[in-house]
Amino acid sequence: MTLWMAFLLMTAAAVFAVLWPLSRRRDAVQADPSDVVVYRDQLEEIARDRAAGRIAETEAEAARVEVSRRLIAAADASEPISSKPVGPAGLWRRRIAAVAVLVALPVGCGALYLAFGSPQLPAQPLAARMEPQPAGQQPVAELVTRVEGHLERNPDDGQGWEVVAPVYLRLGRYADAVRARQNALRLLGASAAREADLGEALVAAGNGVITADAKAAFDRALARDAKDVKARYFIGLAAEQDGRRDDAAKIWSALAADAPSDAPWLGFVRQALARVGGTVPAPAESPNTNMAAPAAPGPSAADVAAAKDMSETDRNEMIRGMVARLADRLRTEPADLEGWLRLLRAYMVLGQREKAMEAADDARRAFAAEPDKLRRIDELVKGLGLAG
Amino acid sequence: MTRKQRRLVLIGSGLGVLAISVGLVLSALKDSIVFFNSPTDIVEKKVAPGTRVRLGGLVLPGTLQRGDALQVRFEVSDGKTQIPVSYQGILPDLFREGQGVVTEGALEPGGTFKASSVLAKHDENYMPKEVADALKKTGHWKDEYEKAKAGKPGTVKPDVGKAAATTPVADTPKGSVQ
Amino acid sequence: MIPELGHYALVLAFGLALVQAIVPIIGARSRDATLMGVAAPTALAQFGFVAFSFAALAASYVVSDFSVLNVFENSHSMMPLIYKLTSTWGNHEGSMLLWVLILSLFGAMVAVFGRNLPASLKANVLGVQAWIAAAFYLFILMTSNPFMRIAQPPLEGRDLNPILQDMGLAIHPPMLYLGYVGFSITFSFAMAALIEGRIDAAWARWVRPWALAAWMFLTLGISMGSYWAYYELGWGGWWFWDPVENASLMPWIAGTALLHSAVVMEKRDALKVWTVLLAILTFSLSLIGTFLVRSGVLTSVHTFASDPSRGIFILAILTVFIGGALALFAWRASLLRQGGLFAPISREGALVFNNLFLTTACATVFVGTLYPLALDALTGEKISVGAPFFNATFAPLFLPLLLAAPFGPLLAWKRGDLYGAAQRLMWAAGAGLVVVAATFAIMHGGPVLAPFGMGLALYVILGALTDIAERTALWRAPWRTSLQRARGLPRSVWGTAFAHAGLGVCLIGIVCESSWNTERIAALKPGATVDISSYQLTFDGVTQRAGPNYRELLAKFSVRHAGQAETIAVLEPAKRNFPSRNSSTTEAALMTRGVSQLYVSLGEPNEDGSISVRIYHKPFVLLIWLGTLVMVFGGGLSLSDRRLRVGAPKPAKAKRSIEKPSLQPAE
Repeated sequence: MTLWMAFLLMTAAAVFAVLWPLSRRRDAVQADPSDVVVYRDQLEEIARDRAAGRIAETEAEAARVEVSRRLIAAADASEPISSKPVGPAGLWRRRIAAVAVLVALPVGCGALYLAFGSPQLPAQPLAARMEPQPAGQQPVAELVTRVEGHLERNPDDGQGWEVVAPVYLRLGRYADAVRARQNALRLLGASAAREADLGEALVAAGNGVITADAKAAFDRALARDAKDVKARYFIGLAAEQDGRRDDAAKIWSALAADAPSDAPWLGFVRQALARVGGTVPAPAESPNTNMAAPAAPGPSAADVAAAKDMSETDRNEMIRGMVARLADRLRTEPADLEGWLRLLRAYMVLGQREKAMEAADDARRAFAAEPDKLRRIDELVKGLGLAG
Repeated sequence: MTRKQRRLVLIGSGLGVLAISVGLVLSALKDSIVFFNSPTDIVEKKVAPGTRVRLGGLVLPGTLQRGDALQVRFEVSDGKTQIPVSYQGILPDLFREGQGVVTEGALEPGGTFKASSVLAKHDENYMPKEVADALKKTGHWKDEYEKAKAGKPGTVKPDVGKAAATTPVADTPKGSVQ
Repeated sequence: MIPELGHYALVLAFGLALVQAIVPIIGARSRDATLMGVAAPTALAQFGFVAFSFAALAASYVVSDFSVLNVFENSHSMMPLIYKLTSTWGNHEGSMLLWVLILSLFGAMVAVFGRNLPASLKANVLGVQAWIAAAFYLFILMTSNPFMRIAQPPLEGRDLNPILQDMGLAIHPPMLYLGYVGFSITFSFAMAALIEGRIDAAWARWVRPWALAAWMFLTLGISMGSYWAYYELGWGGWWFWDPVENASLMPWIAGTALLHSAVVMEKRDALKVWTVLLAILTFSLSLIGTFLVRSGVLTSVHTFASDPSRGIFILAILTVFIGGALALFAWRASLLRQGGLFAPISREGALVFNNLFLTTACATVFVGTLYPLALDALTGEKISVGAPFFNATFAPLFLPLLLAAPFGPLLAWKRGDLYGAAQRLMWAAGAGLVVVAATFAIMHGGPVLAPFGMGLALYVILGALTDIAERTALWRAPWRTSLQRARGLPRSVWGTAFAHAGLGVCLIGIVCESSWNTERIAALKPGATVDISSYQLTFDGVTQRAGPNYRELLAKFSVRHAGQAETIAVLEPAKRNFPSRNSSTTEAALMTRGVSQLYVSLGEPNEDGSISVRIYHKPFVLLIWLGTLVMVFGGGLSLSDRRLRVGAPKPAKAKRSIEKPSLQPAE
């Protein structure tokens, strides 16, 4: 509201700056003596030069004649300018000018601003954004920045790296996740879980492909703990990716067989198993004995699920949280050009190039019949480096 | 002196000075301009040893060797042809393997390009225009550059090559908000 | 809210510019004082809104508001405050905003100080100024809007190009723009004169202060840019004949010519058509410079981001304004009456000589800058036109100018005495020759032409002082008389002398730097020493240090006079690495002794623990920039001259003069 009030005041000031002089009468003293003044000044200067002996009398005389001639010409040429309207035509001109400014300036400027501006967005100074907010309300990204700041100052805080690593993974910052996992491993010492976590990050960074580096990490994890769930799952995946489906089935069956029946990741393994055509073995232990079951590698098992589930759902949720309303609305009301442009930018900010491209295509379809809007879309697409 | 004469003197001297400057410009253009070439141009045009040219392209990764007394050797490539370059002196701040570079100098009889100056780009966004054009011509533009930008081959997303095929124009180095 | 207010203010400024572009010009045509009176308040309001808009952008930078796309792309929360502020114009969008800010500032200044201008001339000048402004507002809003927003702002910006993270950015662009854009006023004056079809000596008097002010700022801007490149790029060079540098040099040369021809017009009512043409050309060259730098046809550190649509937009502005101005010129120039007569050997003749050579020199720079672009566009052949070309063309054309510069002020108006002037310059020429001989005797190395350059420089300086000596009757009259006369001299005379002498001072610096510069490049291990000129440098080792948004490798050198144990200075050149941009800069270390400098810049550290270092000894190098400062000082003196002072004739006088316009015709 204050924003619109401010806009109104600014517009009023601008209109006033034009209307005020239009409403004023000018008196005739403002006629045209200026160049006469200049020549008069030149004459005085010649007199001064002559008096100081800087020029000879003949030169001074010649100069005087020349300047006088200009002076006369100037005096002749100056015709008085009237401030009173030059007949009804002049009065009309002023009225038209006044009305045009009064109407066109606010309307034109308002329209132009609405075409380019984003009045709905508040200013977001960094300092205000960094102030602590009630827990749970803080966007993940800001928490990450805070932790990053901490790690910048204390790069040897292994715990910090371990905390931030899964968050990176969820945010899709895989290279950072790998770095964080490596640091944690280096600073806190090797363990099966940490090696497996590193492998997982490497897999994510490799777009789901189990690279040699990742395989080595899982092998190291299994060397420390042959029962490590995450490492076993991914070793199975590696076998599947190598085309050794039988091996994969074997590894995953064993994994499922060892699992407590309520392990949250069990469904996940079963799915994988079904994919390679293996049979799902019965749970090793009956449900009612699971209290006594040896503590399965719980946290790491949960992580597998979390990393897979959450990096899917959570990320999707985040994207939706940020742009969902916009995207949904555009699906139902595709005629909103500004909306599409904002959506494009938002996707680019999130690093989702493909989605941005799709959105660009959708937007182009929505405005196929309107070339000037198409042009704006194309401009933005080019500006964002999406161009084909 | 009449108005007419005065004007003649003015126009005459004006033309005189203009003629002198045209002469200067033409002779200077003949002697002092330097042609830009990509490694392929150098080979195809059979640029004679000793002719001063500018050679531009990407510094081929893995070819940079430093010798004694600030002696440097590296290869410049446009994806098709490589030319070995030798240079003595300090390389610019942003000289890196896999990045664009423009060198000025002359070809030696042995086929090595002896550079008297090496120019690299001003920042990570700036690819010398000549180099970009040369790379586009040989079709090695986007993927090479993209790889170079990503730094480690490991982080190159597999679909970059595909993207390169559909987005050959990438000289809006702004990259914007991606 | 602040960014949006700034955005809206910019839109309002555009709206006001349109009003200012139309209403006063209609008023001037219909001689309606009220409509003409709209110009001044509108110009002031327009400036107010742009200033607000600029302040809003600057504020967004200061508080790191990354919801503004422009801030996100060019700032970093860890940058020192001063760089946050300067990065406002360290990018394309922001620098264009600075451009229009200065454009409207000049408009506002005409509105305020132009009270003594004829009403219709003032209305037309402000109207034309507003046309230019409106075109650039539209350009900014459509293609380079600095107020684009991001709905979900990232938490960190992408940082400013490290090379720009320097005090130079605080000085060079604003100064350069004040110069570039300042010439828009002379352009507007020329257009207004053509629209009115009337131009006279008084016009030149009104234009000259503006041209002088713009020229001073442009001189400062170019000079400071050159010094910035000198210490920041780490190559020890101060002028590279880079197309972007040429783009600023061309308006400077044309503007210098304009200053000189305006003198002829003011005093003698001659060269009117030529002066108007020069005023148009000077600003056209400023526009071409803006186009070259902003369109992306050139890639350099000045080209922040290239975008074809921007290039085409600026090209359109360029075509409309230059083409329109030249068309108007062709149409209306015949209306301008011829003025006073003069002999070829006269003050006027000398100034014509100056104009002739300056414009030709400007043309050679133009050819050298645009020829590669044209060739590339036409044939695809890529060439580079570098220093050898300009040395072979520009220098020979400047030589006659330097020889003739002392003559000009010594010649009388209308008909001068060349022989007399030459006689009075004998001592300056003699002193120059002595310097040539002495330089030959003392310096054994260096190019053969260098001693002549030194002699020429001294001749230019002494020649400039000859005029003062003549006018004060120095050595001919008693001291007291001379002093009294010196006080009584118009400041513009002093201004001319200083400006010409500054040229000579600058020339000394250029000759010395390019002839007797010594350079050592070496890979040094800690403890190693290097001898250069009369100094000995010891490399004490390197340390690492963290800056606000960079890490730096700092090398320490202690400097001694050769053969002495006492350390006279410690130099710490550095190499800074900016992780956010993955790039680095070289921070040269300078030791200044008198006007000479020792310059140390670092290369990369080598595997064997040594580090590559470039060391230069640059004799008299500071004179290059001090010379330009002397020139600017001369310009300032001239500007403060009572006769040129903006708004000089007092209103009281104005009233008196209307009472007697009936001065009877003498013929």
